[in-house]
Amino acid sequence: MRRAFLAALAAAVAAFAIYPEFGTGYGVRSILQVFMWIALAGSWNLVSGLTGYVSFGHVAFFGAGAYAGGILITQHGWPWPVASLGGGAAALVLAAVIGGPCLRLKGPYFAIAMLGLNEVLRALVSYFEGLTGGGNGLSLPTLDASVPIYYVMGLLAMAVTAGTYLIITSRFGLRLMTIREDELAAEAMGIDTFRHKMYALLLSAVGPGIAGALTARDQGYIEPISVFPLATTITMIVMVLFGGKGTVWGPVLGAVVLFVAQELVWARYPYVHPLLFGAIIVAVVLAMPRGVLGLLQIKYHLPRTI
Amino acid sequence: MATPALEIEDVRKSFGGVAAVNGVSLRLPPGRIYGLIGPNGSGKTTLFNCITGVERRDAGRIFLNGERIDGLKPYQVAQKGVGRTFQIIRVFPELTALENLLVVTRGAREAARARALELLRFVKLEGLKDEYAGNLSYGQQKLVEFVRMLMRDPALVLLDEPAAGVNRTLLNDLLEAVRRLRDQGKTVLLVEHDMKVVMGLCETVFVLDHGEKIAEGPPGVIQTDERVIEAYFGR
Repeated sequence: MRRAFLAALAAAVAAFAIYPEFGTGYGVRSILQVFMWIALAGSWNLVSGLTGYVSFGHVAFFGAGAYAGGILITQHGWPWPVASLGGGAAALVLAAVIGGPCLRLKGPYFAIAMLGLNEVLRALVSYFEGLTGGGNGLSLPTLDASVPIYYVMGLLAMAVTAGTYLIITSRFGLRLMTIREDELAAEAMGIDTFRHKMYALLLSAVGPGIAGALTARDQGYIEPISVFPLATTITMIVMVLFGGKGTVWGPVLGAVVLFVAQELVWARYPYVHPLLFGAIIVAVVLAMPRGVLGLLQIKYHLPRTI
Repeated sequence: MATPALEIEDVRKSFGGVAAVNGVSLRLPPGRIYGLIGPNGSGKTTLFNCITGVERRDAGRIFLNGERIDGLKPYQVAQKGVGRTFQIIRVFPELTALENLLVVTRGAREAARARALELLRFVKLEGLKDEYAGNLSYGQQKLVEFVRMLMRDPALVLLDEPAAGVNRTLLNDLLEAVRRLRDQGKTVLLVEHDMKVVMGLCETVFVLDHGEKIAEGPPGVIQTDERVIEAYFGR
């Protein structure tokens, strides 16, 4: 079973690796998007799926990475692969700064604080026109790098998923889960819950930061409303809830299934699309609050590494 | 005279205008089992929460083996060697029984696993090690919580109503386990409503009423103390 799974995984990775050789431009861009959603959903899962601290502003890290990357490329002439790491670093710094005050809040208050953070960041980016172009947006020099970005985004998706596997199978991961399970009991067992929440938030910020910078490079133009949309956070959350929070493959499954569903429905019935997403949220929350893999995990007693 | 395992000096804690703990001092020489009793609302759980850092005391000092622990955060108090169980069970329901114990440990993975398995064997739950704690029966969860607390090998053990909701067989096992902790040199302080348990197990009993200590002594003496009888039954 395990061997078959690993073989299938290796085959999938190989197929994605050679796909740009013969795939269409549309295909490459679509898969690039799937990679991005895997990285975003997987990152959200690290903090919210494991510690239970639901972040409603995770796109803030994506947007911060996009602007940091965009500014580094346009104003400092950094090559985009390095600038994308700069985007990750910017998101990390943002997480370190806001983690202190926000992680002392519990439950819905944390969620709202993160939501507010995203709005503040969007306003700040609009305000500092000299640096960010403000509401006019930021245009990057023309460059067709879709294929290399495809590979880097693919690596990012793999790194986030592999990192999730390592964390979930470690005692560090168990300690993160105790925060979700019962924070007071975790403290009573000698676990420094604040520090662990901080680690989780930092880890969950890097991926979106890099993905944001890569997206900025890929699209060539960013503006505040395009990189700080609440809809992106909601999509990450729905993907993880659908696939199974707190598992390794749940975010991957959610990202793939919902992205494909979205593309199919969106192409044919553009007006039904938001309705479909709303319906999925309601259905998942009501029928299987643990998501597809979470349900299987509990029912058949499977490890969280599914 | 040996340094007390736990010494509480004039600890006070109010919620709004209500003095939940109103200047309590306790001295617990090590290696014995102590009981903390009192009517509902007498301040027992608040005192527990002050010791463990869950509540910040308003005044007073708390020493663990001569070292001040008041003002520390709950996880720091736990790391200093205070283990506790809760009045309402607090296992990690979606972690397995074994994982519930493993979260506490650092260092060598195999050694931690061996210790966790040994503790689960100690309470006869080895066969359920891979079951989610939330799926276990009430009594089994109570045992998981009890041995999880022992993973850090605490010097001072605080038990909040260990006998509540536990059947007789399990209760005897638990009491036996508590005695064995004492025999290992640990100090145990328990809050308990079941007087039979308190009288049979504790060597010294402290009685709280309205946030104040009204009596202290061996169980036999406490039972006949007029102030205690008055606190429990009224005049």
